[in-house]
Amino acid sequence: MNIPQFNFDLIRNSNLWAILESDNNLQANLFSFLIHFALFIFMIFSIQWQTKIPNFAEVELWDAVPTQIKNKKMKTKPIINKQIKKIKVLPPKIDKQQLKLNEEAEIKLKKKKVAKQKILAKKKKLKEIKKLQAKLLKQEEIEKLQDKLLEQEKLDKIKDKLLEQERIEKLQDSLRDEELKKKPTIAIEADKEVLAGVNSGELDRFKALIQQKIQQNVNNQLCGLDRVELEFEISLMPTGDLLGEPKMSQSSKIASCDAAVERAILQSQPLPLPQDKKLFKRLKNLKLKFHPNGHYDL
Amino acid sequence: MIYRIRSLLFGILFLFSTPIYSLEVIEILGGKASEIPIAIVPFEGFESIGGQKAHQIISSDLNRTGLFRPLNTRGVSNPPSSDININYTKWSSMDAQFIVVGKVESENPISGNIEVTWSLIDVFKEKTVISMRYKGKKSQYRAIAHKVSDNVYEHLTGSKGIFHTKIAYVEKVNNKKYSLNVADFDGFNSRPILNTTQPIISPRWSPDGEKIAYVSFEKKKPVVYIQNLRTGKRTLLANFKGNNSAPAWSPDSKKLAIVLTYNKNSQIYTINADGSGIKQLMRSNAINTEPSWAPNGEDIYFSSNRGGSPQIYKVNINNDEINRVTYEGKYNLSPSISYDGKLLLFLTNDQGKFKVAIQNLISNQVLKISEGPADESPIFAPNGHLVLFTYKDYGKTTKIGTVSINGLKRLPINVGSSIIQEPTWGPVTN
Repeated sequence: MNIPQFNFDLIRNSNLWAILESDNNLQANLFSFLIHFALFIFMIFSIQWQTKIPNFAEVELWDAVPTQIKNKKMKTKPIINKQIKKIKVLPPKIDKQQLKLNEEAEIKLKKKKVAKQKILAKKKKLKEIKKLQAKLLKQEEIEKLQDKLLEQEKLDKIKDKLLEQERIEKLQDSLRDEELKKKPTIAIEADKEVLAGVNSGELDRFKALIQQKIQQNVNNQLCGLDRVELEFEISLMPTGDLLGEPKMSQSSKIASCDAAVERAILQSQPLPLPQDKKLFKRLKNLKLKFHPNGHYDL
Repeated sequence: MIYRIRSLLFGILFLFSTPIYSLEVIEILGGKASEIPIAIVPFEGFESIGGQKAHQIISSDLNRTGLFRPLNTRGVSNPPSSDININYTKWSSMDAQFIVVGKVESENPISGNIEVTWSLIDVFKEKTVISMRYKGKKSQYRAIAHKVSDNVYEHLTGSKGIFHTKIAYVEKVNNKKYSLNVADFDGFNSRPILNTTQPIISPRWSPDGEKIAYVSFEKKKPVVYIQNLRTGKRTLLANFKGNNSAPAWSPDSKKLAIVLTYNKNSQIYTINADGSGIKQLMRSNAINTEPSWAPNGEDIYFSSNRGGSPQIYKVNINNDEINRVTYEGKYNLSPSISYDGKLLLFLTNDQGKFKVAIQNLISNQVLKISEGPADESPIFAPNGHLVLFTYKDYGKTTKIGTVSINGLKRLPINVGSSIIQEPTWGPVTN
């Protein structure tokens, strides 16, 4: 076997060697490099100082659970123990100087490592902080965007509502116009007043009060036994008193009944009326429909 | 063509130029059975005959109907005697809706004739409703006052007044003497048309006002007589085998329905007013009695136990179709029909008390209008607004009285201290 031999002459003769010999610093650096290299090698191929050999646990890796086979005993081969037994523990050769150097080198390396780790940690922290900041910025931006979107949505909804309202109002207007065209002129003002915001609850309340007051004064004994109907139209002053006389628009065909109902209207003065002008306007002209024998009373 | 278009345009313009006004509608259902407050002012120069003055007679008449509430006018300063210068504020403050004013003047002091001028005034409308003048003898003073009442009643209720009508009733004195009496509707001017020692029951005035049919026991059994009120002459209408009772006039006064026990049970027959043409109305094993002729002349209402307990039925005289009429109460009898055929009057046993009841034949609603406990013989006034009936005064003596058909006004008719029973009401006559 031919072992290639290093030709030092070639090196000595080369310019590189001349440079090394002339430059001390370069020599020192090379030396330190070699030492470091040696230390590095030593770190990899270090001596084991432990006297006790740790127990090994043997683990078999199965692809699937094996089926139990009866009558066959599992045999374990003490391969490892034999091998362990075969290993001869050699006493370590201790080079104190070398050790010291190693320790120092280790300390330095550790320090460097720690420093590096610290720097790395700081860098990581900085990165994390930057990331966080970036995240926060992004979140803020997202939130802002979301807010903008929400606002936009709201605005859209409001716009839709307004458009819908406009559409409904237009429809209502058109319907109302159609209704008004169909209705007699009498009802037009009433509808206008409804649009003007007359309180229908109050209106009904006063109508009930008027109905109650007049009904108490209707003497239905004078209206015979048959079911009769009659109508009067009245105009009222704000005081509740009648403006002029009641005007009979439909007779019961029983003179005494007509007269009795007319008396009931006159007797009921003053009729209860609201203070509100709009409401009064609605009640100042009334049509009163009477059914004196509503239930065939004796 | 242009003229037509122009007319059309003017028409459209006129349509839109009509005044616009709102018209709310209020429906008023039903009412209240109330009395009309009326002030009968004492008549100027009034005379008093029989203790009552004209305004008192009128007040009493109107009060009995249950439709009027005469106001107390005693102490009213400067009472008006005509419809001139009426202080409407004063009468309105007294709650009066109408006032009656008038004066009585002696037309001729020697002949004793009087002249009554009177007016009915509407306080609400502040105007005169009616003004009239009556002339008559002093002896007709009450009759003139009743005529005023009739006119007021007719103008304000639309129905004929019954204040000028007569009633008849049986007076029983000491269980020995019986008399059939005729009096004014309020019991005044009573006079007997028949005196007998035998009981008299079921007098019925003919619709034409000429005659009264009644049941007398003077032949030792009940028989039916008809007595002419002008001549006083009476004829025996029914003296058939068994009992002859319960006469009821047809609306035209030409026929009567009577009850005979010719074939054991009481059965209804029709007979001409001259006693001819007797005819059994229906054949039944049940008791059929107390006939009352409906104003249509075709239906006869009667009481019968054909359904078990006494109830009121009606039969059509043309086809004998029978229908039950009363369903409320277990014991109803003595039917009487109003002049318009819309109300049925009868006696009902209300938990042991006999009361007068009215059934509306349109709605079939029943209203008890008397309190009992032993009311009997109810009969309508000719206008159907009042009922004449007998009742036990303090639970002892039988008396007669009136009750308004709304049951609100029950008043006695004072015709003496004896037993007064079996009343009947004469028609409205001119």
